[in-house]
Amino acid sequence: MATTVTSSTKKKTVRMNGCVASAQAAKYADVDVITAYPIRPYTATMMALAQMVANGELDAEYIVADSEHSQLSIAHGASSSGARVFTGSSGVGVQFAYELYSPISGSRMPVQMMIADRTLDPPGDFGSEHTDALSTRDMGWLMGWACDAQEAFDNHLMAYRIGEDPRVLLPQMVCQDGFFVSHITTDVELPDPGQVKEFLPPYKHPYPLDPRHPVSHGPQIMPEQGPPLQLERARAMEGSMAVIEQVHDEFAQIFGRKYDPWVEEFMTDGAEVVFFMQGGHAVTARFAIQHMRDEGVKVGLVRLRTIRPYPTDRVNQVLSKFKVVGVIETNMGLGSVSSGGSLYAEACAALYESPQHPLVISFMAGMGGEAIVLKEFYWMTKKMTEAQRRGKIEKRTHWVGFEE
Amino acid sequence: MSTKGTHIPDWLTVPFAGITPAPSQEKGQDLFPTGNWRSIRPVYRDKLPPCNNACGTNEKIQGYLDLVKRGKYLDAYALIKEDMPFPSVTGRVCYHPCEQACNRGQYDEAISIRAVERFLGDLGQALARDVVKPGKPNGKKVAVVGSGPAGHSAAYQLARLGYKVTILEKSPKAGGLNRGGIPDWVLPQHVLDREIERLVELGVTIKTNVEVGKDVTWNDLKQNYDACVLAVGLTEPNSVRAEGENKDGVLYGLPFLRDIGMGTSKVRLGARVAVIGGGNTAIDCAREALRQGAVEVTMITVESNPQEMPCVPEDLHDMLEEGVELLHGRAMTAVLGNGRVEALQLYPARFSGAINASPITVNREAPAERFAVDNVIIAVGQHASLTWLPKECKNERGTIKVDRFGRLGDTNFFAAGDIVQLGSGQPLMVVNAVGDGKRVAFNLDKVLRGEPLEPRKVPVDVIMDLNRMNMTYFPHFPRVRQAMLPPVRRRKTQEEVIQPFTEEQAVEEASRCFSCGTCNACDNCYLVCPEPCIVRSARSNGLYKILVNYCKGCRVCIEECPTGCLEGVPELDFDTGVVRMDTAFAISPGLHGRQAQEMLNLGSRPAKEI
Repeated sequence: MATTVTSSTKKKTVRMNGCVASAQAAKYADVDVITAYPIRPYTATMMALAQMVANGELDAEYIVADSEHSQLSIAHGASSSGARVFTGSSGVGVQFAYELYSPISGSRMPVQMMIADRTLDPPGDFGSEHTDALSTRDMGWLMGWACDAQEAFDNHLMAYRIGEDPRVLLPQMVCQDGFFVSHITTDVELPDPGQVKEFLPPYKHPYPLDPRHPVSHGPQIMPEQGPPLQLERARAMEGSMAVIEQVHDEFAQIFGRKYDPWVEEFMTDGAEVVFFMQGGHAVTARFAIQHMRDEGVKVGLVRLRTIRPYPTDRVNQVLSKFKVVGVIETNMGLGSVSSGGSLYAEACAALYESPQHPLVISFMAGMGGEAIVLKEFYWMTKKMTEAQRRGKIEKRTHWVGFEE
Repeated sequence: MSTKGTHIPDWLTVPFAGITPAPSQEKGQDLFPTGNWRSIRPVYRDKLPPCNNACGTNEKIQGYLDLVKRGKYLDAYALIKEDMPFPSVTGRVCYHPCEQACNRGQYDEAISIRAVERFLGDLGQALARDVVKPGKPNGKKVAVVGSGPAGHSAAYQLARLGYKVTILEKSPKAGGLNRGGIPDWVLPQHVLDREIERLVELGVTIKTNVEVGKDVTWNDLKQNYDACVLAVGLTEPNSVRAEGENKDGVLYGLPFLRDIGMGTSKVRLGARVAVIGGGNTAIDCAREALRQGAVEVTMITVESNPQEMPCVPEDLHDMLEEGVELLHGRAMTAVLGNGRVEALQLYPARFSGAINASPITVNREAPAERFAVDNVIIAVGQHASLTWLPKECKNERGTIKVDRFGRLGDTNFFAAGDIVQLGSGQPLMVVNAVGDGKRVAFNLDKVLRGEPLEPRKVPVDVIMDLNRMNMTYFPHFPRVRQAMLPPVRRRKTQEEVIQPFTEEQAVEEASRCFSCGTCNACDNCYLVCPEPCIVRSARSNGLYKILVNYCKGCRVCIEECPTGCLEGVPELDFDTGVVRMDTAFAISPGLHGRQAQEMLNLGSRPAKEI
């Protein structure tokens, strides 16, 4: 968990919501090109950045596109020319740009995209749900969720550093829950610009588009030339894991906040049942767990911080310690392995090779932007402890709030 | 780590993210030789624009319009001069079949080609030295009899081919029908004089007042020259065979115009003049009659309405604007009067056949009309006068007997212009005579050099059709109109009726040209190619190149070619270049190539080994 060190005089702590924290991160990263198209709830980020560009706080090209598809296309082009690019979207906006996700990662352009989650239509539900970004999880983008505004700010800086590393060169989706993170105001420590300069060197693509040195980006290739390129993209994704760990270490040294790059473990010492989840609902989960621990229930929390690349071995190693794992989905995986969400499959796959084989239950909670309230955490914990006692699960998926 | 232990073989090693030199760069295509996906290959092939095809002398009209558009007036003038010795003349008098054929006419309005031609012709007139140079002398002498459009054109082309040319002209001034058949207010004499000067500058000798059959004999022509072009035209006016045609005050169309043109006219017209005939000469006569002092001019035609008249519609329109009256469906059967024309006897009449050259049926049962006039001008065509020509060289119509190359048997005599065109169905127009003269000059040259003669071949499918072009690229834009003198003013003066284009007007009008079927370096293909498969060293027709090793045959360039000069040719029609995908497995350098090599070997190996 993040800890604050106040050593520099230029550091300051400001109260802001997640959207503004993302905008501040883009400013501190000194981005060159911003491409925007409005959709709630992420719009507030672009509003903040527009103000910064307008009042001279940030020197960047601010391009308003005519759709998310154009937005990502412009981001692709700008990155190809060697610019550091910041973009973002929410919900169906993320989906509308779908065509661009593979081309951007395939051409190895480290575009950064801020996601403030929103439920997919229809109907027009603007509450948070992770399905928007999660549906693009296999397109070659680095991806992970923050649980508060400070973590969102930090993730943006780290993602640029990781994605632009010459060993990686991949785009990044830096995600936060819509409203629960994006619109809730908390204290965020903004670093000394000198610290950021030390941490994040300027972006330099090895083969930028330049009329003086013509190169062909994204040419048509022969069928047999496809597999080697896919293999190299897979190598980059896997290779990024070492870079991610290194960058988290360096971040802690410079900024004083130490994050585990893969999973946050909360009160897992002596725990027998744990929640496995991503994003902002972890904040409520921590309260519930502390309360239940006081009552003697051996419950803990494992929060996934990075889902792409997926830390399979680490998840296996961590979750194997427990008897029951309760996956809180916050996403839709209609007709999926558990007939619930898609995170269940990720957890189970990691546990398949585990000799301990904990029981795994999927909880459909936090759907459509509904908050997960304390008593729902108690209810889910009860389902886990019952399964532990029985030695088997009642069923794979529970729709929380719709069952006795 | 799933990628641990993976290895990419050398022959499949690709650069980072497939980023390579652009295909337009050196070796840029080597890595991704996708040309073998293609089943259709884009090919630049210029077609014949319909204007060029329709022109009597096949001027490269699209070519010079394109040059005018780019401000290269001198180049445009030089191009027009390849086929047309006097653009300043045809720029004024031509009946412009090119404009009737112009594809733009089906879209909004045809290009005003004649006006641009006149702009270039006048530019040429103003040059101190002409751009055209005589050919290297070949020591051979050619006589050209007649200095009208056909003779002028033949002499001009022969001089450019290196012949020593002598024109024999029976009139006191050279020019033939250009001078004697076209009024000053259409073609000012000084314009024609300047073009004849140009001919002399090319080394052509013009002997005026020399009449074949009188001053020079047939045998003189045979003995003194290596070859001869007879371009004597039709000089004798046709009669309408009416009673009393010999009365005073009866005039004939061509001599009437010719005498005025040569400055030898002694005619004084009365107030009321009738013109018999509905063709172009009749129109010129009627309009000239106004300028010679007539007050009321009536044109009497057998044709029953203006649409049937064998004339240029614009000229008919201008004539009516000047106040000439039309009287249709009448034939003149007698000239009435006591020694001098006082009136005409008219009967209803019509042509017996479908065309107006057919015999006339006169309805004499109807009451005769008496039409009072002071003069009548008969303009119903003309015929040849060839008393000097050996009988075996004449045909049944009384004109010169030639083969399809304009040659008289196997002699070195050729004939061109009206004297041979008569009855061929071609209009008797200046530009057709010029084309005749040009073709005969080239045929004559071939004969003297001992080469075989071949007719001009134009396969019909290469004349560019409007619906093979991409009209998206051409906004509607109206034709630039030439200014004209107001009718009240022009009917009393010899001033030119139609005014020239300014430079801006010429460029604006030339810019409307579609360049049908011909590359005009618009750069569209270069810009729309989704891959850089099209390269060019400069923006010019002929310098665009398709990189066939890389072009996948998506055909975007073909679809988006505005002029239709890019066309798709099935790859199987080529025996060079890249190998198609379905036949390429043995040759592609990639994985498929290796598999194919093994598969080829399978056939010769026993089944057990496989």
